[in-house]
Amino acid sequence: MFSSSFWHFLTLQIFKERHKHLTTLLLSILLLFLLSSMLFIASSLRYVVMETLEGEPDFVITRIQGGDPASTPLEWMDPLFDIYGITQITPRVYGRYFVTPKEESFLIVGVDPLEEQSQKALKELLEGIDIKHFSQGDTMLVGQGVARYLKAHYYYDGYKFLTPTGEFISLKIASLLPVEGNLLSNDMVIMPLEVAQKILGYASNEVRDIGFNVPNPDERANIMDKVASLHYDLRIVSKTEMAQRYRDLYSYKEGIFLLLFIMLLVTFLLTLYQRYSMVYSSEKRQIGLLRAMGWSIADLLRLKFMETVVVVMFAFILGVILAYWFVFVWDAPLLRQIFLGSENLPNFVSFPPVVEFSTLGSIFLLYVLPSLAAVMIPVWRVAITDAKEAML
Amino acid sequence: MIEIEQLHKVYGERVILSDITLHIGCGEMVILQGISGSGKTTLLSLIAGLEKPSSGAILIDGEPIHKLPDRFASELRAAKIGMVFQHFNLMEHLSVAQNVMVPLIPYEPQIDRVQERVSSAMERANIVHRKDQLASRLSGGEKQRTAIARALVANPDILLCDEPTANLDHANALKFIEMMESLHQEGKTIVIATHDPRFNQLKVRHRTIPMVEGKLLHG
Amino acid sequence: MGEIFLSTEVLVYLLSETILGMVLLVAFAYALRIFFKWDFQAFTPEQFKLEQGAYLINTIAIFVFVMKFGLILYFAYTLDTLANLIPGAMCGAGVIRANGYGSPLLVLKLVILFLLILWFYLNHYDLESRTYAWFRQKSLLFMLIVLLVGGEWWLDFAYFANIDTHQAVSCCSTLFGQLEGANPLPFGLNTTTLLILFYLLFSVTLLSLWSKARYLYILSNLLFIYIAYYAVVYFFGTYIYQLPTHKCPFCMLQVEYHYVGYFIWFSLFIGSFLGINGVLISLWLSLPLSKRMGYWVMGLLGFFVLLCSAYPLVYYVKNGVWL
Repeated sequence: MFSSSFWHFLTLQIFKERHKHLTTLLLSILLLFLLSSMLFIASSLRYVVMETLEGEPDFVITRIQGGDPASTPLEWMDPLFDIYGITQITPRVYGRYFVTPKEESFLIVGVDPLEEQSQKALKELLEGIDIKHFSQGDTMLVGQGVARYLKAHYYYDGYKFLTPTGEFISLKIASLLPVEGNLLSNDMVIMPLEVAQKILGYASNEVRDIGFNVPNPDERANIMDKVASLHYDLRIVSKTEMAQRYRDLYSYKEGIFLLLFIMLLVTFLLTLYQRYSMVYSSEKRQIGLLRAMGWSIADLLRLKFMETVVVVMFAFILGVILAYWFVFVWDAPLLRQIFLGSENLPNFVSFPPVVEFSTLGSIFLLYVLPSLAAVMIPVWRVAITDAKEAML
Repeated sequence: MIEIEQLHKVYGERVILSDITLHIGCGEMVILQGISGSGKTTLLSLIAGLEKPSSGAILIDGEPIHKLPDRFASELRAAKIGMVFQHFNLMEHLSVAQNVMVPLIPYEPQIDRVQERVSSAMERANIVHRKDQLASRLSGGEKQRTAIARALVANPDILLCDEPTANLDHANALKFIEMMESLHQEGKTIVIATHDPRFNQLKVRHRTIPMVEGKLLHG
Repeated sequence: MGEIFLSTEVLVYLLSETILGMVLLVAFAYALRIFFKWDFQAFTPEQFKLEQGAYLINTIAIFVFVMKFGLILYFAYTLDTLANLIPGAMCGAGVIRANGYGSPLLVLKLVILFLLILWFYLNHYDLESRTYAWFRQKSLLFMLIVLLVGGEWWLDFAYFANIDTHQAVSCCSTLFGQLEGANPLPFGLNTTTLLILFYLLFSVTLLSLWSKARYLYILSNLLFIYIAYYAVVYFFGTYIYQLPTHKCPFCMLQVEYHYVGYFIWFSLFIGSFLGINGVLISLWLSLPLSKRMGYWVMGLLGFFVLLCSAYPLVYYVKNGVWL
């Protein structure tokens, strides 16, 4: 059916008539490029988020006041030590510090430099940074976005934070957080726990929330119930719930994008259909000639259909490769704004290369299937051209 | 070899062919003589199975080509019938060799076998020296010889020619007639639809059948 | 409820199904017309047009078949990814049970696949005959398939629209497990007898095909599918997961197990469908059995059995004990 002579002739035809397929090819590559880029960005982001969440504690408890999170008393840690199955209980202090007047904010994260971080992400960020220097109490580590902001506002060595009590706390920049972690750390300021408490308005026996791990998955449901019943105003959130929320968020953005894309696709398909329905008289004569030479309708269908298949597959491969380059090597300028949202502080992010099989499958189904479906009827109409045309 | 029984062909109200009955034996040469509009072209395309009759039967080597499903009709046509057209009908964007290989593609899976047969057909038609030349750059005579090579490449028993000399100069026309004579001597069955009087000078045994307004005038 | 539709995989899947459905509708319209007006003996231009239309239907059918085949795999993959969104589900098993539409949908897909293979055999022989001998039957079957696909399309939407991401579902350990102590195997078999039956039916299937005992073959292959399902879920699967309590037909589709589930179910179902349909056709059209079909069937089913058996054997060789 698809013998070597068939392929020989097919490639000959495609090559000789390449101008006919050029517009289709270019449009397809563009579409594919857009689609693949978006899907690559999405899968990459998903990966980063999941990786980060990996390092998050399994559970986080906060105090609730009037339905909203409020400061959590440090004593709430004590009963947790007694529950069998809980490990790595970590109090956390963090929050948003707004630098007026532009409504931009820093994410302040307080750490106890001597304690082991239960958050893997934090641990990684802190790796390689000289902790002793940091624990003197008047230094901070800042993310790249913060550093740029400070420089732009002529704060060269550090910053004076205003606490809710009206006091000023001056912190010098010890070092910058690495660029690779930018997705998370861009607007982060890491400082000693006690300083963070002061700046964010927590008392010395208060924290934002308390995280802990439960290594045995079978005990999780149980422990969740136990902890939730410790205090009437305690709320417990599990990592899986957080993961779900992030996934929903990205899914939502991806979904909106896809819907828009589908509208584009429909226009493209209509163009395809029209383009391949236009059969010039010269092509009709050619078809009639092939029939006169002994080609059956089935042979013609095969030829014409495979012409399209080759063009479509070629566009697919090219489009995907271009998108890969654009997203994972050039970090997708312009496009990434859509996913990362309006930036708090301008963010330079590097997308880790994540190509899942399902992503490629989705791209294939979303592009190749409709394209081939659209050309089937035009191709058939051409193939059944009266052989008589050759005799004219 | 070719048996036509009571063939009728109408297009709507117009009668193109009426009551054609003709038997052409193996190795015979038949000239269908008539002016344009007499139905010669239609008759040839019916014999080749490119059109279906309104009624009647056409048997090629006993096979009812008018009734076969497209796949089998095409196979039959490819195996048994070679065609040469008035306007040559080459694919202009392909070379001579590429044009000649066209009939073989659906039936010969190995490309090297295809190329072998193409070479020998081009030699037979005396066009092998131009094999890589684009069809659009050929002279009239060369185009015709390419068309002949293409018609011969599948080694068919039957050759159908529709006004083959209409677009050739005198020298080439004579060469064409010579080629037909030599093919006839090889045993091919040849049917030529033409109103070129030069075919009356054929040196080989042949039948001339006049055609007028869709009817055959047997002698 | 709407969140599901924004998941990429679900969107892509539903869109693909819709496009295939639309294309099939076109073919259906032609098929209907052709069915009523077909008269091979007629010489009218209408009949010739009908023959041309038949080519469109064939092209569409081949296209849809190839795509549907890929879509079933994609569907399985989609179910798997949805497991992350639905509380309680760890694999496709939970997702499929998220509402009442899931299992019928899956079964319908298999039925359609089966009938499509049958249609292809029928089409092949019809085209080989010089008079389109089985055109009517082929058209009827095609129209039936289109109707079923229409039902599948409706079920697709109904299923996905009714997945509640806030409603917990059972995980495969509950669905397939033996926590209650009751025996999930049919006919009260235990594992040993199940395995004996498994290999026995396999041999009978191959032998009956080899010796062209057609009715016996159909019967034994059908039984084999039934028994094989249980054997894979309740025995071979446990060796794939290397956990005697993990019984699930879906988890093996996941990346942790090298997607072996796809190979296992593919070889079982496609091998069986090819064979059963091939034999059915030979009975229906009174034609001899195709040798090539026989080789394919034996190859696929053989591969299936080998693949399944490899897991416990390798485990034993590595560890010196059975699970």
